[in-house]
Amino acid sequence: MKKKILIVEDDLTIQTQLKTLLTGNGYEVFTVTNFSQIMEQIQEFAPHLVLLDIKLPENNGFEICAQIRTFSDMPIVFVTSSNTDMDELNSIMLGGDAFITKPYNIAILLAKISALLKRTYFSSQTEIFTWNGAVLHLESSMIEYNGQKAELTKNELKILYYLFKNAGKICSRNDIVDFLWDNQLYVDDNALSVNITRIRDKLAAIGLIDFIKTKHRQGYIL
Amino acid sequence: MSGKQYLKNKIPVIFVNLMGMLALALFLFANGNQLQTVLFIFIVWMIILIAYLSTAYNMRKRYLNKLLDMTKQLEERYLIPEIMTIPDKADDQVFYQIMKMAEKSMLEKIGDIQNERKEYKEYIEQWIHEVKTPITAMKLLCENNHSTFTRDILAELENINQYTEQALYYARSEHTEKDYSVREINLCDIVHSAIADNKYLLRQSNMTITIDNIENIVYTDDKWVRFILNQIIRNAVKYCTEKPVLHFFVIKRNDSIILSVSDNGIGISKSDLPRIFEKGFTGQNGRTRKNATGIGLYLCKRLCDKLGIGLAAYSENKGTTIALSFQINDFVMGVQG
Repeated sequence: MKKKILIVEDDLTIQTQLKTLLTGNGYEVFTVTNFSQIMEQIQEFAPHLVLLDIKLPENNGFEICAQIRTFSDMPIVFVTSSNTDMDELNSIMLGGDAFITKPYNIAILLAKISALLKRTYFSSQTEIFTWNGAVLHLESSMIEYNGQKAELTKNELKILYYLFKNAGKICSRNDIVDFLWDNQLYVDDNALSVNITRIRDKLAAIGLIDFIKTKHRQGYIL
Repeated sequence: MSGKQYLKNKIPVIFVNLMGMLALALFLFANGNQLQTVLFIFIVWMIILIAYLSTAYNMRKRYLNKLLDMTKQLEERYLIPEIMTIPDKADDQVFYQIMKMAEKSMLEKIGDIQNERKEYKEYIEQWIHEVKTPITAMKLLCENNHSTFTRDILAELENINQYTEQALYYARSEHTEKDYSVREINLCDIVHSAIADNKYLLRQSNMTITIDNIENIVYTDDKWVRFILNQIIRNAVKYCTEKPVLHFFVIKRNDSIILSVSDNGIGISKSDLPRIFEKGFTGQNGRTRKNATGIGLYLCKRLCDKLGIGLAAYSENKGTTIALSFQINDFVMGVQG
């Protein structure tokens, strides 16, 4: 089941773009449009998580947070352009679960959301990725094919994770490197080529030949 | 107050006395007194006059010196009317009144300026928060539509963001009140978030980043240190050469943890090195490459001073290492066990 996220944000561009981003990452998203009836909309939509701006037209985010806390323990992420200690302290005191300042790093925002959802709703089911008979095991950092296994390094695992997640789509080298950087692996273009070559060798050793295909001038595809 | 000047000011008094003596002499001679009697009276008169003048001079001098010392010891000298005793001489009282009036108008002016500065600081902070909204919107727009074109825009957005942060921290560093909060921070987290802040700039310059084990706990304000690291990283990008490398590592001392950021850029010349933290100093590198304002490192130094972090730069012809040293005191050691 898709997790539901409510966005309480008065800037229209941010609202729609955030919706696009989160929908693209597999969430069901609802945005508040009528700021005088936020509570009704929250109760109606019953989200799993709320992204809350502090500066809002009718009442501020702190008040809304306090109101939500009277009936729900759902994770509340404050997303604001104010980065004073006072606001951060306030948000924690009122029961906010995270405080992210604008302009936020998208990777960090997504990671925070997914971590909070996992912690609150115990969705302990680990993601298992399969493609054309190959299985990627994230916890043990292995790839399995026809009962044969190959161990992967951190970089290799993350690269394969990204390719599996976008299986069937062309992944540009830039996007792969971006993804690695978001995961604190600072790999450059050359190192990516080296890693891909190594992965291909490992895959070939367990019988997966031409698993990762190169699209000339575009990137890689599973 | 010099004696000579005092005597000069007392010329009318002396003149009046001399005239008095002359009149008395004429009167005494007319009454048939002898020269001896007249001379005796004159000498006694002179003695009394000199005694009066010197006592008056000494008393006045002592009083004025005391006032002068008091003023010198005062930090805010314009406040002297508040602590001095109200003088009893008529003309002194007028001067006292004048000083009081001057002090009042001074205090009003200072109050106004302080208010103005506070309002300006608040305006700057508010403006920065406002400008972050469109920056965020643009960032999201770019992230949702990835292409080489948006990648370049994202790098520019990182520039804009850091410039706005610079204005924010400049406003904060000018202010005397404490604007930071110290807490337990893992250096590793700050470094990674600073790199994330400059991701597209670093990617654009093909920077190779290496990070040694920097899992160290320090006690500081993470936002301030992140701003400082951002500035250092951006300098490394700005003054990079071909195949740029940025290396983060930690050296542990007994009383401090030193985080070093080392690059292989064009470095800083020996003559410029001692002055790089000065306000407005751009040096040789700044002159040859544009965009140097001489604010970035100056601001880093100011913020470090406020936080009690040591900031030092090393450069040997090529490459620069900036070191941030975080103190570990006994209390912190105790907490760490």
